[in-house]
Amino acid sequence: MAELSFTLNGQAQTLTVDSGTPLLWVLREQLAMTGTKFGCGMGLCGACTVHLDGSPIRSCSYPVEFVDGRNITTIEGLASADDVLHPVQQAWLEMSVPQCGYCQSGQIMSAVALLETNQTPSDADIDAAMSGNICRCGTYPRVRKAIHRAAELSVQYYQPVDKESEAAS
Amino acid sequence: MSLSRRNFIKSTALLGGGIAIGFNLTGCSKSPPFPNMSSTALQPNAFLQVTAQGDVILQLHKSEMGQGVFTGLTTLAAEELNMDPAQIIVQHAEFHPDFRDPEFYVMITGGSSSVRLSFVSIREAAATLAAILKSAAAQQLNLPESSLSVVDGKVVHASGDILFADIVDTARTVPSPEAVTLTAPQDFKYIGYYNQRLDARAKVTGSSQFGIDVQYPEALTAVLIRSPDFGGRAKSFDAIAALAKSGVRTVLDVDGAVAVVADTYWQARQAASAVTIEWEKGPLSGVSSDALRDERHTLLETESGKNVEEKGEQSAASGDEVTAIYDVPYLAHATMEPMNALAVVSPESIEIWTGNQSPDIALSAIADATGYRREQIRIHNQMLGGGFGRRILSDYLVEAARVAQLSGFPIKVVWSREDDMRGDFYRPNSSVKMSATIDNNVVTSLQAKVAAPSIMGQFVGAVSNTLMPQWVPDGLHNKLAGLAASSDPAATEGLVENDYQFPYMRTDYIMQETSIPIGYWRSVGHSQNAFFMESFIDELAARTGQDPLQFRLNHLPADSRRRKVIEEAAARADWGKPEAGQFQGIAVHESFHTMVAQVVSVSIEAKKIKVHKVVCVVECGIAVNPDIVSAQMEGGIVFALTAALKGDITVVDGAVQQSNFHNYEMLRMNETPEIEVHIMPSAESPTGVGEPGVPPLAPALANAVFAASGQRLRQLPLKLS
Repeated sequence: MAELSFTLNGQAQTLTVDSGTPLLWVLREQLAMTGTKFGCGMGLCGACTVHLDGSPIRSCSYPVEFVDGRNITTIEGLASADDVLHPVQQAWLEMSVPQCGYCQSGQIMSAVALLETNQTPSDADIDAAMSGNICRCGTYPRVRKAIHRAAELSVQYYQPVDKESEAAS
Repeated sequence: MSLSRRNFIKSTALLGGGIAIGFNLTGCSKSPPFPNMSSTALQPNAFLQVTAQGDVILQLHKSEMGQGVFTGLTTLAAEELNMDPAQIIVQHAEFHPDFRDPEFYVMITGGSSSVRLSFVSIREAAATLAAILKSAAAQQLNLPESSLSVVDGKVVHASGDILFADIVDTARTVPSPEAVTLTAPQDFKYIGYYNQRLDARAKVTGSSQFGIDVQYPEALTAVLIRSPDFGGRAKSFDAIAALAKSGVRTVLDVDGAVAVVADTYWQARQAASAVTIEWEKGPLSGVSSDALRDERHTLLETESGKNVEEKGEQSAASGDEVTAIYDVPYLAHATMEPMNALAVVSPESIEIWTGNQSPDIALSAIADATGYRREQIRIHNQMLGGGFGRRILSDYLVEAARVAQLSGFPIKVVWSREDDMRGDFYRPNSSVKMSATIDNNVVTSLQAKVAAPSIMGQFVGAVSNTLMPQWVPDGLHNKLAGLAASSDPAATEGLVENDYQFPYMRTDYIMQETSIPIGYWRSVGHSQNAFFMESFIDELAARTGQDPLQFRLNHLPADSRRRKVIEEAAARADWGKPEAGQFQGIAVHESFHTMVAQVVSVSIEAKKIKVHKVVCVVECGIAVNPDIVSAQMEGGIVFALTAALKGDITVVDGAVQQSNFHNYEMLRMNETPEIEVHIMPSAESPTGVGEPGVPPLAPALANAVFAASGQRLRQLPLKLS
C-alpha cells in the first residue's frame, strides 16, 4: 500500500492504493472517473490516454505511485466548465467524429496534446501523434479533419481575444 | 421450473444476411407493461411516451454500437412528431415483446436491419402519439382539431401554444386512432437531412455510459480464467496464494472456469495469475487452423456438397475450365470495449447492466443458466463500445449472473483484451473453389463451391436449449442444429442471388464439421464471399483480356442496380485514369439490400501495399441521416482494410494464438487512405447501412494489387510474395 497525493483536473487528491496499480484503474474504480477507458492493458491502443503534466501517457500501464505530486488531466477536466467544450471537443462535434465513442476520450486527449505543442499540424504530424490510438469503428478520416478544424478554433482558444479592447473598438 | 416457452420455432426464417434465426419465444399471452411505464404519462405504445412534465421519451429498442441508431430511430420519431430530434429524450429500452424484430422474431440488433425495419413502425408510433395529443388538446380546449397542429413539442393554435404537460391527463383518455397518415417524403423535415449525432456530445466529454462504466454500490470485480483450449474445463485449482493477495474475496469454480473475485479489477487480475489450475482438455485439443484449411481443401476435391443455387443448363458450360482456390482465416471482432457485465442477484430477481445486441436471447440464456424465470430478469442496456456481431452472444452476461449467483456478491465481470481475443465467436474460416468455363474467349459458366463451418449450426446448437421449451429432448436440439447447419445461408450469401449473367451458374456448400466457436461478424458471409466472387470476376476479365469494369457491365442486365452503382463509382473515381504511380481496382457487392461499389487506388513499394484512396458509392434507399451513412461507409472500409491487410486468427491445439493488438493488429491513422463517399439519391425505403460498406473493399483492393503487381492474391490477409 502506498499513500500519494496528486492534482486531478485541478483538484487535490490524496489516496491510499496498492503499489503498482495502474493509474487507469485508480481513476476508473477508486475515483469513479470513467471517461478514461480500458482497451488493451498494454499501452497498445491509446483508449486510456490522459495527460501527466501536460504530456500524453497510457494510464493502463502507468503505475499510480509515479504520479505522486504531479498533475493529471483526464477527459473530464479538459473543458473549463460542464457546459463548455474544449476546442478539440468542439471540432469533434462539428465533424461528427464519434461512432461507438469508446476510444474517443483517448483520441481527444492525444489530439489536445498534439495541438498544445504544434498549433498547425500537418497530416504527417497528425499521423505521428495519433497512430497510437486505435479506433475499431474507423473514425480516422474524421479525426484527421477534426484536428485540422481544432487547429483553426484553437487560434482563438490559445490566444483569447481581449474582451475589453474588443468592446472598446 | 415452470418455463412456459412454447410455440418454439414458429419459423426458422433462414434469412440471408446474417442473424437469420426465427425463434418465437412467446409462451405467455399477457403482454408485460411497457418499459418505463408510469401512471401519469401518456404511453399509447411501447416506443413513445409523454411524461406528466411534457417530455417526450423514445424507448430505443435497438442497441447503439456506433452505427447510429440512437440518432436514426429518433429522427424517424421526430419527423412525425414534427419536433427537433434533439428535443426527444432517448432511453435504452428494456426487453418488451413489441420490440421483437419482425424478421428475426427476437429483440436483436443485427443484420443492418434497424432503420429498414423501423422505418414505418416508429413513424406510425410517433404519428399516433401526435394524433392523440392533438385530439386531447381539441377536446380539452373545445377547439376543432383542424385548427391545431403539433409543432416543436407543443400543440399550436392561433390563440396560443398548448403545452404537452397541460393535456397529458386528457390525452391518456383519448383512444388511439385506427389509422394514421405518415408524412409524405417530399414534406420530410428531418429524414434525409438531420446530420447531427445525438450521442456525440456525451461521447466527446467522456460522460457517455458504456457497460464497463456502470457503478453499483458494493459491487466487486470478477475476472475469469478460462480454459486455454475451447471447451476445456478446470478439473481442480489451488487458490491459496491468490486468496492471500490484497482485496481478494473469493475464488470459485464457475461452470468450468475459475472466477477470481476482488474489490478492484487490478487486484482480481493480479490474483488470477497466482491461481494454479489443472485443466481437462476439451474436444478441440489438437485442432489447428492450418489443418482445418487443409481439410477444407480436401473436402473441395472429395465432396460434392449441397447445391444452394443453380441457374441455366449445365450443358451450356462449354470450353476450357479455369479454377482457383481462395481462402480466408478466422477473424476476431476486437471491439474496443472488452466484454463485461454487472450482475446483481437476489432470491427474487437478477438485474444485469451491460451492452448487448440481443437482450431477448440473453434473458433466455441467463434463465437457463441460473434457473430463474425470464420474467425475473432485467437487462439494462448501455452504450456498446463496439458490437460488430460479437455482442449478439450472451456468454459474458451469463458469466456475470453465475458468478453473482454463486458468490452472493454484486459482480462486475470484466474481460481483459487477451480474454476477448481468445474467447471470441470468430468470423469463420472459409475456402472456396471458384471455377469457370471459357469458350472462344466467352465465359460460359461460373461456379462456386464453398467449404466452411456453419455459423447457423453452432448458433442454433448454442441457443436452442435456452430458447426452446424444457420438454424438447436434447436430441432434437442437435437435430435442429444439424438441419440448420447444412443449409447455413451465411456460408454462401453474396455468391448466390446476384444478377451477373453467365449461361450456367451454380453454388454448392460443404459444411466443415470441426471449428472453434464462430459467430456473426460485420457483414457475416458477405465479408468473405464478396472477396471470392469479385476477385474471380476480375480474374475472368483478365483471362478474356477485358477491362474489369467493362467485363462486369457486359455480364449485367441493362436495368441492374449493380450496374448503376458500379458505373457511378467508376465515374467518381476516374476509372482507368489513376494518379501517376498508382493502380486501381474495382468491386461491387450487394448485401443487406444495399448496393456498394468501391474503387481502390494503391501503390506498391518494397512488397508493401499502400492504399491511397477509396471511392465508395452506396445505394441504400432513403438515407435517413446522410452523414451517418457516410460515416458507416468510412468505418466499414477501415474495418475491412484491417481484415484485408492484417487480420489472421490462428489456432494451435484448440487455442487461439493471438492475444492483444501487437499480434492482432488494427489499421491505424497513418495507414488510413483518403475515403470519399457518394450516396445515390433514392426515393425507396431505407436498406442496410452498418455492414454493406465492408464486403467490396477486400476484392477491390486485391484487384488493385493485381493491377499493380500482376500477382493474384487469393488469400486474406493479402501478402505479396
